[in-house]
Amino acid sequence: MVFLSIPADYIPIAIMFVVAIGFVVTTIFVTHLLGPKRKSEIKLDTFECGIESQSNARLPFSIKYFLIAILFVLFDVEVIFMYPWAVNFLKLGLTGFIEMLLFVSLLMVGFIYIIRKGALKWE
Amino acid sequence: MAAINIDHYLLLSAVLFCIGVAGVLFRRNAIVIFMCIELMLNSVNLLLTSFSNQHNDPSGQIFVFFIMAVAAAEVAVGLAILVMIYRNAKSVDIDFFNKLKE
Amino acid sequence: MNTIVILSVTGIAAMMSDVFKLKKALFGLSLLGLLIALVFSVYDWGQYATYFNQMVLTDNYAVVFTTMLIGITFLWFLMSKDFFSSHSSASEHYALILFSLTGGVMMTNFSDLTILFLGLEILSIALYILAGSDKGNLFSNEASLKYFMIGSFATGFLLFGIALIYGATSSFNLQEISAYVQQHNGSLPMYFYAGILMILTGLTFKVSAVPFHFWAPDVYDGSPTLVTTYMLSVVKMAAFAALYRLFIYCFAPVYEFWIPVFAIMSAVTMLLGNITAVYQKSLKRMLAYSSIAHAGYMLMALASPGGTSRSALMFYLLAYAISTLGVFNVLYQVHKVTGREEIKSVKGLFRKNPFAAIMLTLCMLSMAGIPPVAGFFGKYYMFVSTLNGGLTWLVLIAVLSSLIGVYFYFKVIIAAFQEPELENTAYYRQPSDLTVLYICGILSLLLGILPQFVAGLL
Repeated sequence: MVFLSIPADYIPIAIMFVVAIGFVVTTIFVTHLLGPKRKSEIKLDTFECGIESQSNARLPFSIKYFLIAILFVLFDVEVIFMYPWAVNFLKLGLTGFIEMLLFVSLLMVGFIYIIRKGALKWE
Repeated sequence: MAAINIDHYLLLSAVLFCIGVAGVLFRRNAIVIFMCIELMLNSVNLLLTSFSNQHNDPSGQIFVFFIMAVAAAEVAVGLAILVMIYRNAKSVDIDFFNKLKE
Repeated sequence: MNTIVILSVTGIAAMMSDVFKLKKALFGLSLLGLLIALVFSVYDWGQYATYFNQMVLTDNYAVVFTTMLIGITFLWFLMSKDFFSSHSSASEHYALILFSLTGGVMMTNFSDLTILFLGLEILSIALYILAGSDKGNLFSNEASLKYFMIGSFATGFLLFGIALIYGATSSFNLQEISAYVQQHNGSLPMYFYAGILMILTGLTFKVSAVPFHFWAPDVYDGSPTLVTTYMLSVVKMAAFAALYRLFIYCFAPVYEFWIPVFAIMSAVTMLLGNITAVYQKSLKRMLAYSSIAHAGYMLMALASPGGTSRSALMFYLLAYAISTLGVFNVLYQVHKVTGREEIKSVKGLFRKNPFAAIMLTLCMLSMAGIPPVAGFFGKYYMFVSTLNGGLTWLVLIAVLSSLIGVYFYFKVIIAAFQEPELENTAYYRQPSDLTVLYICGILSLLLGILPQFVAGLL
């Protein structure tokens, strides 16, 4: 197989771009034209789930969010190693299955570690 | 119009890599530097994937998986270091960190 | 392969020991794991076996460096016993050191660029954390951040180089790349050579060779002393083992291309390292610069590959690592009592503890390369191998810069024999504190008297 893609191969992508941009432009303009317009102070106020907005959005927030997010990223990324294994599942057979069990159990060791260390405790 | 072949991918990832290097060298905010390092790694990923396609050999793509996993671990450590530093210094500007230069 | 498995299992056990309330057993457990790994490593001697789909290759070169790495780490553990047992997160420290040792062993056993990359990262990521393990100290924080940024930056270069090599040869395996390069020598694409240069850049960042050394003094100075010891001995050894293995096993067919790069780098590195070290007042920072200079001498092995360069590099690294451990043992004890790390802090060592002063002298002589200790033969083998390679000018520069080195190493020796300054005399009350210094001094002397036993291994 030769690594060669001619510009014609990109036509579906171009069509997708045109459709996506067209949809956005159409909806914005059409609703703008069709909808009735009434301006009052309450209408123009920042809308936040029906509750009055309180302060700036850029507040420092708890470090616990950061910890959870980082742990999530770490465990989440490991899943990519299962894709090649799943694709070749039948070919790899029992050996591959045992190796994957080993891999997952190592991940579990890490998981047990963070639980026992209390990294996931919120209080 | 000319066909898009490996040279174009090579050029694209070289340009991305150079943008990353320039960012690491010239930006002063540690977070932005992290992002530039990620850009460097991702340009490598792009290059490996296109070479893998060219050679019709999947091992290049598997290497990309390893790079992604390691990059995630690296970022986790790097952000933890930054949080630790922010607690002590209240800043992530790297010009602040020249205490050891004397 | 067994060594890698045992070391990682020991690391995981050390990590979990805190969780399962086995912290008391931690130290013994780690030492036991290291000993078992050492036995298995020596047991592989004389074999030529590949594991994990030809990704790991255990040959004599790998066995010698693996054994040295584990042995040095063992001594390091003996030296740092009291520090980590008093620390609240001791188990994490032990685990990180064991993990990074695993990475180092992978870097000496690799036969595939994937393993080189993974080993380097396992080695480095653990050390980024350890460099900042003194959490409240801004110097330690700065060292950690710098090490992390430079480390990942260098990794980017290494990876781009690997990708280019893969593109040119369609393989990550050292043997296959070597065969391909041999076959197509002369008709390789330009980006293959660019790839070699980028890999070279990435790895010489790790061994702190000029012009990629600027991070090293700050990082070595700012990290906790014990972590610096580990970086200077084990990390440097692993990085050099990997660098030499990669270029000899893989890029030997195009050696005309990369030899001049290493030769120039080596000359500049040893000159700059030695000259800058003269001006340092802090003992720790002086040793950091001297380690850059030593990297220059070690690069001579790559500037004249083939012949006896392999055993010369091995012997030099061993002599250097042993004397580094000895000197840092003194530095650590001095720092613990006086809180200072200047050269004059060792004053009065001879008055209080003559044996320790003599052992420190042996280690310092070994670093300076003066007979009859190990460092002299390290330099001797290296110079002979380089002369056989035909690089007389490089040897001349090396001899010149060694003479500069003698000056600042002797400053430490003289300080040790001088009368003590007032308040800093109490630092060696417990004799056990300096065990590693004694071991290292005696080993340096033994290697100096009988160098051929070790040098003949490779």
